[in-house]
Amino acid sequence: MIQAILVFNNHGKPRLVRFYQQEIQQQIVRETFHLVLKRDDNICNFLEGGSLIGGSDYKLIYRHYATLYFVFCVDSSESELGILDLIQVFVETLDKCFENVCELDLIFHMDKVHYILQEVVMGGMVLETNMNEIVAQIEAQNRLEKSEVTPRWA
Amino acid sequence: MLQLSTRPGRLYLPSLTEAPRQGRSLLSHSLPSPAASPLFHPRAPHNHTCWQKRGLQPPVAPQHPERTQKRHGGLGLPAVLASRPLHGLEHTSPYFCKSKEAEIKRINKELANIRSKFKGDKALDGYSKKKYVCKLLFIFLLGHDIDFGHMEAVNLLSSNKYTEKQIGYLFISVLVNSNSELIRLINNAIKNDLASRNPTFMCLALHCIANVGSREMGEAFAADIPRILVAGDSMDSVKQSAALCLLRLYKASPDLVPMGEWTARVVHLLNDQHMGVVTAAVSLITCLCKKNPDDFKTCISLAVSRLSRIVSSASTDLQDYTYYFVPAPWLSVKLLRLLQCYPPPEDAAVKGRLVECLETVLNKAQEPPKSKKVQHSNAKNAILFETISLIIHYDSEPNLLVRACNQLGQFLQHRETNLRYLALESMCTLASSEFSHEAVKTHIDTVINALKTERDVSVRQRAADLLYAMCDRSNAKQIVSEMLRYLETADYAIREEIVLKVAILAEKYAVDYSWYVDTILNLIRIAGDYVSEEVWYRVLQIVTNRDDVQGYAAKTVFEALQAPACHENMVKVGGYILGEFGNLIAGDPRSSPPVQFSLLHSKFHLCSVATRALLLSTYIKFINLFPETKATIQGVLRAGSQLRNADVELQQRAVEYLTLSSVASTDVLATVLEEMPPFPERESSILAKLKRKKGPGAGSALDDGRRDPSSNDINGGVEPTPSTVSTPSPSADLLGLRAAPPPAAPPASSGAGNLLVDVFSDGPAAQPSLGPTPEEAFLRFVCKNNGVLFENQLLQIGVKSEFRQNLGRMYLFYGNKTSVQFQNFSPTVVHPGDLQTHILPTKRVAAQVDGGAQVQQVLNIECLRDFLTPPLLSVRFRYGGAPQSLTLKLPVTINKFFQPTEMAAQDFFQRWKQLSLPQQEAQKIFKANHPMDAEVTKAKLLGFGSALLDNVDPNPENFVGAGIIQTKALQVGCLLRLEPNAQAQMYRLTLRTSKEPVSRHLCELLAQQF
Repeated sequence: MIQAILVFNNHGKPRLVRFYQQEIQQQIVRETFHLVLKRDDNICNFLEGGSLIGGSDYKLIYRHYATLYFVFCVDSSESELGILDLIQVFVETLDKCFENVCELDLIFHMDKVHYILQEVVMGGMVLETNMNEIVAQIEAQNRLEKSEVTPRWA
Repeated sequence: MLQLSTRPGRLYLPSLTEAPRQGRSLLSHSLPSPAASPLFHPRAPHNHTCWQKRGLQPPVAPQHPERTQKRHGGLGLPAVLASRPLHGLEHTSPYFCKSKEAEIKRINKELANIRSKFKGDKALDGYSKKKYVCKLLFIFLLGHDIDFGHMEAVNLLSSNKYTEKQIGYLFISVLVNSNSELIRLINNAIKNDLASRNPTFMCLALHCIANVGSREMGEAFAADIPRILVAGDSMDSVKQSAALCLLRLYKASPDLVPMGEWTARVVHLLNDQHMGVVTAAVSLITCLCKKNPDDFKTCISLAVSRLSRIVSSASTDLQDYTYYFVPAPWLSVKLLRLLQCYPPPEDAAVKGRLVECLETVLNKAQEPPKSKKVQHSNAKNAILFETISLIIHYDSEPNLLVRACNQLGQFLQHRETNLRYLALESMCTLASSEFSHEAVKTHIDTVINALKTERDVSVRQRAADLLYAMCDRSNAKQIVSEMLRYLETADYAIREEIVLKVAILAEKYAVDYSWYVDTILNLIRIAGDYVSEEVWYRVLQIVTNRDDVQGYAAKTVFEALQAPACHENMVKVGGYILGEFGNLIAGDPRSSPPVQFSLLHSKFHLCSVATRALLLSTYIKFINLFPETKATIQGVLRAGSQLRNADVELQQRAVEYLTLSSVASTDVLATVLEEMPPFPERESSILAKLKRKKGPGAGSALDDGRRDPSSNDINGGVEPTPSTVSTPSPSADLLGLRAAPPPAAPPASSGAGNLLVDVFSDGPAAQPSLGPTPEEAFLRFVCKNNGVLFENQLLQIGVKSEFRQNLGRMYLFYGNKTSVQFQNFSPTVVHPGDLQTHILPTKRVAAQVDGGAQVQQVLNIECLRDFLTPPLLSVRFRYGGAPQSLTLKLPVTINKFFQPTEMAAQDFFQRWKQLSLPQQEAQKIFKANHPMDAEVTKAKLLGFGSALLDNVDPNPENFVGAGIIQTKALQVGCLLRLEPNAQAQMYRLTLRTSKEPVSRHLCELLAQQF
């Protein structure tokens, strides 16, 4: 099970934080950032950060994309490489939905990012890994949204 | 918009001003050329149709011309994606703030604004509400507390508009904690959405339940969700969500999810057309089948055939589920995980098919890759590693095991660090299989090399683990010496673990004990700070118990102490060993008694109080061993710095030892200061101590000691020496609360008396264990009333309780284990469901708990009627600024209100027959989890609350009990029979009560105890 998903930038500013079993703790976000930041790009993507979050059964699995770190905290029931793939799926989906995603998209479309994440991970469990399916869901949401929007800025 | 465009001039973007990577897109490494699509940029403002980004645009500094070269992705932006961001958010965004102060100022301003908008007379339209809720979420993300807006979010739930509903649910999933008073309102909205038959709304509601996952939600919906899951007309997306939602509720409160006829239909979801549904179903079944393996047994053949279809499919067959040329990797991994919940399939055909699959995966690993991308190899290897795990789990196919081992051997030298890491990890489990242990050992040189050369500490740690796992008598010396060498340069984070491993291996595989002594002394020399008490206590025990090594040990420590700077632990070990066995080397003039004494005394002043106390004991032992040192030592003891030492312990020792040495005759001295007797075997010493301490009447004392190794060393650790504080009262000791000394103060009683305690708990986990999981701890309380309910690094919660009739009183003791004060400490008790247990806390607990202090809370409990779910204790506090919270089940179970009833065999059988309706009986047959000891069983049954009736059952091995459960509303008579079968290591437990749920519940509770 996925205990937490953290996305922060190279400066440690949180950009997406989702905890599935406990309340959000800024301290965990900060400490995770320090753990991950001091690691080179070429060393392995798994580390035991268990004492921070769930206990020794938990691992941090992370990937670094340009200015953002994507960190998943998972227990031993998940495959490490599988989670790396999942992170890739999530980021590629973001990229598709935002047309070349960048950090600012995560800030100004925070709601949307959450919705995309919800199509991938639900309550700490993986819901869908097929990118096309996820994008289709998001597009359906967008259509619904569009049909409801009444222009206000005119 | 006007407002926005005036702002950017003063703003700057901290994260984009310096990072060299800024020109890369998030995905640049997966795209042909980063330069062609510098995606990870703020967008340039050249496209006016893309107005939504305008307010966000950063001031483009002229010295960063490459930024403006960005090819704008928005040109081809599909209309559906060009959704409107919530404008105004950028004001909220401290992204643009220069300093922390400015950020806080702006956020406070924004919060005030939102608050006034929410409170204002003008009703907000849906859009504004949505906007403000979104802002609150953002502020929360940045780490600021949000204490309002919940009600507005709840209101959004009942909106007809999808987007408003959606943001409402989002806010609640992120911000509402499980025991909010709003839960009822939220549950109402969820209920409506679940009943709406609109799949989009249903999914939103299911997501919310899964994300919050609270008990209240479980109670409200656990019964509905299986129905939605297996309903024929549910859409695929709803099924998917329902499966995971159910899984989440089951994980949170398994008792709320009733198994039923739906389980069979869930298994058949493995055959579903939609792979997403299969993925969700596999996760659900994997979790459910752990507790109910038999109910889900049919999933094996379905999983195997599904797996086989995926594995043998071409990379294009599964279309959308093919990920970088690998068909459905995620699902394959999950299926392989599911199969690891079961033993190898019994059906030969299924097994054959599975073995074929496993072989195919192993074969595919040798094929050339279909793509050079890391994602391809990642996905492929994810399946491969899971396949290997399954092979290791079955541990029955020598052929496959050896192939797996060879495959891992290849990975050990792979250039991808991740693969080396995983290979080391998998090999660790492989090392414990008898078929492959030898094969693993052939890789020893590679692993040692990894330990020396890996750049990554996680990988080095795995290498150390593997060396530990592959160690046996044949290679122990090599491995221990390599680990010792590694220790000199090891990362601080893993030193203690390595020290423990070395100590354990050295002891386990020691052929001659001089090697063992050398190894431990080396450990202290190299990493003295990381050698915990357990380790050096242990070497003392072993030296004391084996006279063949004592002379050698004395000689070696004497030499080690001659180093100009030696670690304090070395002084402790040296002091103890010379005090006991210094006479064995006294013949050599180089280590004559005065030399030994002056060597030890030269370290005295640099040592901590605990060590000095130990050295004083050594000195008095010297007076006995070497009468010629008496005058010198008495001089030392008499010195003002000892006799008037500010430390009570040192002063007392100095005074007592001085007097002892002057008044006692040589004979008395020799008797008092005799060599320590060999240390007794661990179990016996601890059991004896427990029995002595708890005395009669503590029915659970026996199993208390047996099941709780962690508390043994805690209890033992503060066993006071006769010269220190008074013995704690038995009840306080039972709680073990005195056992947690404040971390700053080392236990003052590290004198010889302390060494009586065997400190090695089972196996390698010699680090202080923090006790059982809350669930285990809770289960332990079924048969006992006192003990430690919870313990982590910060907090220990002890419970003392008594029950009479339908009333109970419970004392909760909260011990702060840190040296820092807990703030806003608030333990609250909530009753899930109807108020069937009535609990009155008598007084509030102080909001602050000082470091090392303990506070007490008293609960009065009244059982109104029979209940199944225990009340919950939720403890919140702030530790060093960080909020902490935990929720525990209070150990109040229905059996606490048992009143034992004695009756004759005849009466018993008569009542037994009266309760013969099928629903009045609950029966369970289960495997013994603990050794089957009649005395222990008896103690547990008595602790459970029923009377034990002798001479009722014709078979004397069986146990028969009777009692009445007292509640305010009614009494429930209860009869039970427990039949142990020592041969099969099984029990059969039968319960008959006048109320059906009570029978089942008691049966569940009691069955978990054996």
